[in-house]
This record gives sequence, C-alpha cells and structure tokens, in this order.
Amino acid sequence: MTAAIYDHRPKNFIEHLAAHMSWRKFIFALVLFMFLSVILFPFYWMISSSFKTYAEIGGRHPVYIPNELRWDAYQELFGYWNFGRNIINSFLVAIPTALIAVVLSTMGAYASARLSFRGKNVMLNSILIIYLFPGILLIIPLFAMLAKIGAAIGFEVQDNLGILVFTYLAQTLPVALYMLANYFRTIPEEIEQAALIDGCTRSQVIWKVTLPLSVPALVSVVIYTFMIAWNEFLYALVFLNDRDMFTMPIKINTIFNDPTPRPHVVMAASTIMTIPIIILFLAMERYLTEGLAAGGVKG
Amino acid sequence: MSSSTEAVQKYQKRRWSSLKSQEARLAWRLLLPTAVIVFGLVIFPAIFSIWISFHKVDLSNLNDVFHAPYVGLDNYKRVIHDYAFKWQSWKNMGAYITSIVYSFVSTLLTIIIGLIAALLLNRPFRARGASRAVFLFPYVAPIVSVAFVWRWLLDPKPSGVANDILMRLNLIDRPLGFLSTPGLALLLVILFTGWRYFPFAMLMILARLQAIDKTLYEAADVDGANEWHKFWYITIPELRYVLGALFLLRLIWTFNKFDDIFLLTGGGFGTNVLPVLTYQFSFRLFNFGVGAAAAMILLVTLLIFLVVYVGVFMRYTEEA
Repeated sequence: MTAAIYDHRPKNFIEHLAAHMSWRKFIFALVLFMFLSVILFPFYWMISSSFKTYAEIGGRHPVYIPNELRWDAYQELFGYWNFGRNIINSFLVAIPTALIAVVLSTMGAYASARLSFRGKNVMLNSILIIYLFPGILLIIPLFAMLAKIGAAIGFEVQDNLGILVFTYLAQTLPVALYMLANYFRTIPEEIEQAALIDGCTRSQVIWKVTLPLSVPALVSVVIYTFMIAWNEFLYALVFLNDRDMFTMPIKINTIFNDPTPRPHVVMAASTIMTIPIIILFLAMERYLTEGLAAGGVKG
Repeated sequence: MSSSTEAVQKYQKRRWSSLKSQEARLAWRLLLPTAVIVFGLVIFPAIFSIWISFHKVDLSNLNDVFHAPYVGLDNYKRVIHDYAFKWQSWKNMGAYITSIVYSFVSTLLTIIIGLIAALLLNRPFRARGASRAVFLFPYVAPIVSVAFVWRWLLDPKPSGVANDILMRLNLIDRPLGFLSTPGLALLLVILFTGWRYFPFAMLMILARLQAIDKTLYEAADVDGANEWHKFWYITIPELRYVLGALFLLRLIWTFNKFDDIFLLTGGGFGTNVLPVLTYQFSFRLFNFGVGAAAAMILLVTLLIFLVVYVGVFMRYTEEA
C-alpha cells in the first residue's frame, strides 16, 4: 500500500510531461513559445544573415544557419559603403539631442512641477499638442521656413546635422518635460522647503536636492531622446542629401535600394544599428519600462 | 499725478520683489528655451502649413514662400481628384479609405495582441522578467532594421523565408509576392504594425492588470465562476479605461505613421496612406502646396475622430 503511493515516479519523458502538465499549462507554454519565436526570429535572421556570403544569400533556398561566420558583409559595409562615417553622424545627432533635451526639459519640468505662474496650464497643454501632430504635416512648412531663414542668416538647411538636432528637440522636448514633471511631483516638497529655510537659493535647491534625487528619471529621458534621434527616419530623409552626411537609417535605406540587391550588407548595417539600442535597453530596462508605458517613445 | 505714478511704481517694485513673482519670473526663464523651440518648430509651422495649403508653393518659389500666389481650394481639389487618393476598387481603396482601414484594423489588432501578451505575462513563471524584456524588442528596435528584415523574410522569390516555409508545408505551390499583391500587402502591413506596436499596449494593460483588486477574483471563485467568466466580468470591465485610452492614442499615432508603410511597400500595391501620399506630393513631385493640403485633410480627419470619440466615450462613461 505504502509502496504504491510512493512508487509513482515517471517511467519515461512522456509520462514525466503528463504528470506535470495540465492542458492549461500546455496552452500557456505554447502561446509563450509562439510569441517568443515570432519576436526573436527576425532578430536572429538579421544577425545570422549579416555573417553570410553572397553565395549563401543568392541561393535557391534560404540558408537558415550560415556555414561559418564570414565578415564579407561587414567588409563591404565599411569599405565600399563607408558606413563608419554614417555611424559617426548618427552619434553626432543623437548625443547632442539627448544632452540638450535633458537639460532643457529638466528646467521646464521643474518650473511646471514646483513653481506657480499664470498661464501654466495653457502653456503645458499647448506643449502636449505635439502628441497629435503628424510629423509629415510639420515637415513641409519647416522645410520652407528654414530655407528662408537659412538664406537670410546664411546657413545651409540641407545636410546640416545641427538643423536635425533642433527638429528632434522639438519632437522630444514635450514628452521629456511631461515625464520629468511627473517624476518631480513624486519628490516630497518638504525636502526642498527644508533646504530653502536653511538658506539655499532656488537654483541651489534644484542642483543639490532635486536633481540628485531624480537620477533614474534623468537617465531614462537621456536614453529615450537618444533612441528617438538614433532611429528617426523621415526628417533625416528629407533634410539630408549627401551620402557622407547621412545618418544610419538613411544610409541603410540607400543600400537597400541599390540596383543589385545586397541583403546581407543591409542586415550587417541593421545589426550595427540595432545591437547598441537593445543592449542599452536591457541594461536600463528597470528604469525604462515605466517611461515607455507613459508614451516616452512616441510611435 | 506724479505722486500717483510714483505710488504705482513703488507698488510694482514691491510686487516684483515679492517671492511669488520672483518664482513666476524664474519659472518663465526656465520654460523659455523649451517654449521657443516648441513654438518655433511645431506650433508656428503647423499654422504656416494651413497657409501653404491655400497657396501655390513649389520648387520654383520655395525661396520666396511668403509671396506665393493664393490659389484658393485648388490644392485641395487636386488631392481629392488624384487617383491615388480616390477610391478605385476593393483591392485599391485609395489613400483616404486605406488610411482609415489600416489605422482602425491595426489599432484593434495591436490592442488584442497586447492584451494576450499582458495576460500571459501577468501570471508568475520562471523567466517572466526576461520574457517581458524580449517582448519589448520589436518596439524599441529601429524601424529601418525591422522593416527591412521583414521585407526580406517576405521576399517574393522562392528563396524568401516565408515562401520557403509555406512551400515546404505544401500550403502554396508557387511563391507569393507578399508585399506586391494588392489586398495581401495591406494585410501584411497591418500584421507588421501589430507585431511592432503591441508591446506598448502590453505595458499599459499589464500595469493596470497588476492593480486589479485580487479579492474580486477570490469572490468570483467562491461564487463558482470559471476562467472565462472571470475574464469577461472582472478583467475586461477593470481594463475598460485603459483600453479606451490606448485605442485613441494608438489610433492617432497609427494614422500619422509614415515610416512603416514607406519602408515596407513605398505606398504601392493598395497600401498608400495619407502620410505617404503627402510625402509623394511634397518631395517626389515637389508640389508643397498640394502636399500641405493632403496633410490638412489628414489632420481634419484626425480631429473628427477625436471629437466623435470624446463624444461617444464621455457619454459612455457618464452612463456607467
């Protein structure tokens, strides 16, 4: 009797599964597996294809696992296509955008979270209107306007990375300001008031009390704005004409549209562009997911 | 009289130095750079775009925009009568109807996939944190990369992955041109949009799911409710507001979306939408006036959605 109770060890794999799996668990595992494979397969395909040779790309059937890691695509990318230049351009746009955006939005967010002034709500609402405006609507007047101003003051609108930084700031500042203001409101005002009573000025309070407490929020704003500038396609497509000034997305588009298709090179460039973003995201995931749900990356 | 001005000045001086007005001045100084950039690069261009849509602006007079000739509604007429805008057939619905179909269906799909993913991640299992991170990949990865990977997976040649798999499974006997067949192309663009944007819906739904009072489910268990009852009578009503807000936000963003369709199909094969049409008018034909008119039609349609939605949704919440 006792032996019968204890002797229910599974005899083979199937029985083991049957003992531990209910129908509900099975369906759960199946759906999870489907999600993971549909999400991850394109990324696997992108990375693995970047190591294929032209022969493997052009065959009758797709090659699911490359025979060996070949750097042909990367050699062509950095040699013939001069992709290094485009990586630098992307950094030249994304880093200033992120840094200027975090400074300006911190200032604005502090004002709207802590200070009272007339016209605050009108101001904040009009800043949030940007959520509604299609980028494509703004680009025509921006193009015309900047061409006019550029002619008057004497700067080029085309192929000017500085102009791109400004247009990205316009797109990212409102959301950054909104996210930071929400964060500042969660910091107890009493802490700041205590510092004010102790004789600190407002700017000292901001610098020595508020900002050190807001590091997580500041980091996530930097990363969001960096990601937006790094990924942006439409404005860069319209404002850049010279291959040496292209940011990565526009260069990848150019390589893709080359008369002789070279998907492995496109995949190599895409891998270079995607991996830093994924690593940045994974490293900072704890800070970032909350901001994502708040609409940090508009799109 | 001079004494009264003096009094006013004194009063103003006192007022200015009071703590409150000092605060207000500091606030404006802090907000000024953001306000200037947003006004100069968003609000002013938006208004300027209305003006452009009523004027003849092309490459010839781009440097002298402010003297562009007024043409009344001509630009709008050109957009409305353009073959790419108008309804052609069920397989080629024209940019206007395609835009509406595309944004409504893919918004719905995005939310449904997001809901399933959120329910999946709401139950405890090993590697839940890692799975959630992976689920967010499509949303954080650059659009250019993922669009081109999918475009290549859906390659019309027999060496395309989708064609290869479907032919090995004997589901099709000759390769399909997935993104170059009207109808099928629109369906795939919608599926792509669902794949890319469901993580956003998932995160918002997940946050709300975790805030639902557990005692509701316990009470339902006591009453003998099954899983389906609990989902339909507790979870969905609790998610109602989040789903409503999500629908509006995603609808607006999808309706405005340019990159996805431009990179996947270039707006061909029955997938042309208003943002891509606006781009084609402005930067292929270099007719900025007509482009601005197309963009204004897009914006007005968006405002109509918004008004209808707020009207319906508000009444619904008042009744509830």
